[in-house]
Amino acid sequence: MSAIRLTSPSRQLAPARAQLRSVSLANSRAASPRNKIVTMLTIGALGIAIANLVLHILTSTAVYELASLQQQARELNTTSQIIADEVDSLSSQQNLSNSAQKLGMIANSNPVFLSIGKQKVYGKPTAALDTDGRVARNLIANSVMTATSKDLKVPVAEVQAAPANVATQKAATAPVISNGGVIPASPTH
Amino acid sequence: MTYLTPGDPSKRLKKIVGFILVLVGVFAIRLIDLQVIEADAINAKSYEKRAVTRVVPAVRGEILDVNGKVLAKTILRYDINAAPSKVGPVARKVSGQTVSIQVEQVAAEIAAILEITPQEVMQKIIGTGEYSQIKKRVNAAQYRKLVALNVPWLYYDPMAERVYPNGAVAGNILGFITQSGLMEGIEQEYDKCLAGVDGEESFEKGKDGIKIPSSVVTTRQAVAGKNVRLTIDSDLQYFAQQVMASTVSFLRADWGTATIIEVKTGRILAAAEAPSVDPNDPGKLSADDRRARIFQAAFEPGSTLKTITAATVVDTGMGSPTLKVYAPSAFLIPNSNGYRVTDSHAHGLEKLTMTGVLAESSNTGILNVGKVVDWKTRYDYLEKFGLGKRTALNFPGEGSGLLNSKDTWSNDGVKRYVSMFGQGVSVTPIQSAMMYQTIGNGGVRLNPILVDGCESNVNDFKNAPVKPGVQVISKGTSAQTLSMLERVVEAGPIGRYGAIPGYRIGAKTGTAQIRDENTGKYAGPYAISYFGIAPIDDPQYVVAVTAFKSRTVGSSLGVAKPFKRIMQQVLRAYRVPPSTTKTSDLPLNW
Repeated sequence: MSAIRLTSPSRQLAPARAQLRSVSLANSRAASPRNKIVTMLTIGALGIAIANLVLHILTSTAVYELASLQQQARELNTTSQIIADEVDSLSSQQNLSNSAQKLGMIANSNPVFLSIGKQKVYGKPTAALDTDGRVARNLIANSVMTATSKDLKVPVAEVQAAPANVATQKAATAPVISNGGVIPASPTH
Repeated sequence: MTYLTPGDPSKRLKKIVGFILVLVGVFAIRLIDLQVIEADAINAKSYEKRAVTRVVPAVRGEILDVNGKVLAKTILRYDINAAPSKVGPVARKVSGQTVSIQVEQVAAEIAAILEITPQEVMQKIIGTGEYSQIKKRVNAAQYRKLVALNVPWLYYDPMAERVYPNGAVAGNILGFITQSGLMEGIEQEYDKCLAGVDGEESFEKGKDGIKIPSSVVTTRQAVAGKNVRLTIDSDLQYFAQQVMASTVSFLRADWGTATIIEVKTGRILAAAEAPSVDPNDPGKLSADDRRARIFQAAFEPGSTLKTITAATVVDTGMGSPTLKVYAPSAFLIPNSNGYRVTDSHAHGLEKLTMTGVLAESSNTGILNVGKVVDWKTRYDYLEKFGLGKRTALNFPGEGSGLLNSKDTWSNDGVKRYVSMFGQGVSVTPIQSAMMYQTIGNGGVRLNPILVDGCESNVNDFKNAPVKPGVQVISKGTSAQTLSMLERVVEAGPIGRYGAIPGYRIGAKTGTAQIRDENTGKYAGPYAISYFGIAPIDDPQYVVAVTAFKSRTVGSSLGVAKPFKRIMQQVLRAYRVPPSTTKTSDLPLNW
């Protein structure tokens, strides 16, 4: 009985031993392809993350550049608007009228026309009179007129006196160029 | 006692792996559900939460004069706002050192730029609120100066605003747009053309509410408004307005108008009024003075209608410019319970021709001229000349004037007579001007033209086509009427003040009594008019000048000189050479 009792544990231990096996280095080396994959995946993921970061930085830079350009465009638009406002004011009839008045301009109420086709003068040449022909001070409201003409020069009339009577002036000797009978119109309005 | 047994590790591993697989499976299913099945709905919900949609206003088109000069356009203005709760000293670098600028000084700097007092600025920026408006709609130059101050508690809202660079030039025609959207004039009439179609864009905002850059998506492109070109010559308009402003001031009149029409086309070259509204600041004038009276105000024309009576007599063959009539000191209207018509001055019995009647502007004389034509025929002529009906312009609020029905006339003997010298009927200044256009245009009444069209590209504008007119009187009658009008300028006691040396001018004066709406009686001050056509040998322009309720000059003499100045400018501006033909020299007396 005791022999059986003695042997029985040894029988029981035998399979346990059989289960033990040495861990060889060869086996761990066999796992290295998996490690390689893991390493590659890790490097890949890191690469993607870095690429993403670079891309993000580049995009951010482009966005800043875009914002800067938009700001520049806004500034230029404002500049353009300021200049347009000034041009509008200076070219408004109100400013021109006031400037003409300051310069002592007089509109001649007796216009004379030359018909080049018929070689004929229409109207009686008369010097402009400083009576009702003088350009009047502006009377028409304009609340957006922000700029006015400054530093207007001495009236032309003072610089060079107008001829006393235009009609007595000698005819021009230069040849008259025909304009097909049409009275040339001033390019201004 | 229970012992934990190590069991089979591989089995346990399998169980764990199985569990993980199941978990992954569940996640995968949920992922597919979220990413594929419900993806669109979730995306939409998410976008709704972070996306903002806003309207992109279409840029309103411009209004141009006939030469392309801009009379109305849309630009950016800036509302200047502050956050009072954040108001404090402003750090600024001065000579390389950072110094703190006190709020009072900053307020003074802001006030100087905005042209208001520092106290006004201080009132607006003191408080605990997050929003306070300091000034609305400042211009770009002021905005830039404010930005340069670098005040952290100021912020700016750009706003589109309509501006009229020439101020009150053609202001009454252009109309205006208030901030509440109220419109008048051309702005109202051509709103559909000018307005364009608003666009729409959406963008995404972050958690802090700030727009995410590059997230803007235009969902609907804004379509800019088209431009409108008027027939108005703004330089001529300005000149006429200047003349009328000084005239109204001198006459101490309620208002004045000057209308310039191109005879052969009906184009309105100027429609000047005084007072004239500056559409940039319409609140400065009363609602009545903001109106376009040339199209909207109807009043009894007075003697300028005598021309129509004379033309009717000539056209019906019942008389000629040399028709001999008596002009007594008073004329008793038959069957009128003693309604007596007199002239403006006492005189004895005068022997005048029809031409003389016009030159003298005799009321009693014109009654003897006009009565040779039956009243129904005269009524028809008045209708054909355009009385009692709005013109084809269809200007907002345009008046039709008043021409009572034939039934009314049949029961009103006085009206039938007094209409011969412009009482009992009313006309707008544009109707009056078009009557004279008819006489100048060989008897053909055209539709007045104020707008050439509506185009996207300003280079595409062409003159509006001239529609065939109505032959009101014959060409011969037109010529004879012009000859009579010429004699008014040559020999008329007032008419001669409108004469322009070198040019053959025809005109008619008018001094109309104004009916008091309360008493129904006629009284002064008068509506004085001077309507003229030039040159008579080839009529090209009509200038019609009126001053309503002239207080310093009680006759049309008050507008003869303004007519002359404006007509001179028209002839000069449009290069009309002086006349070379001679006057008809029709007799005035017999």
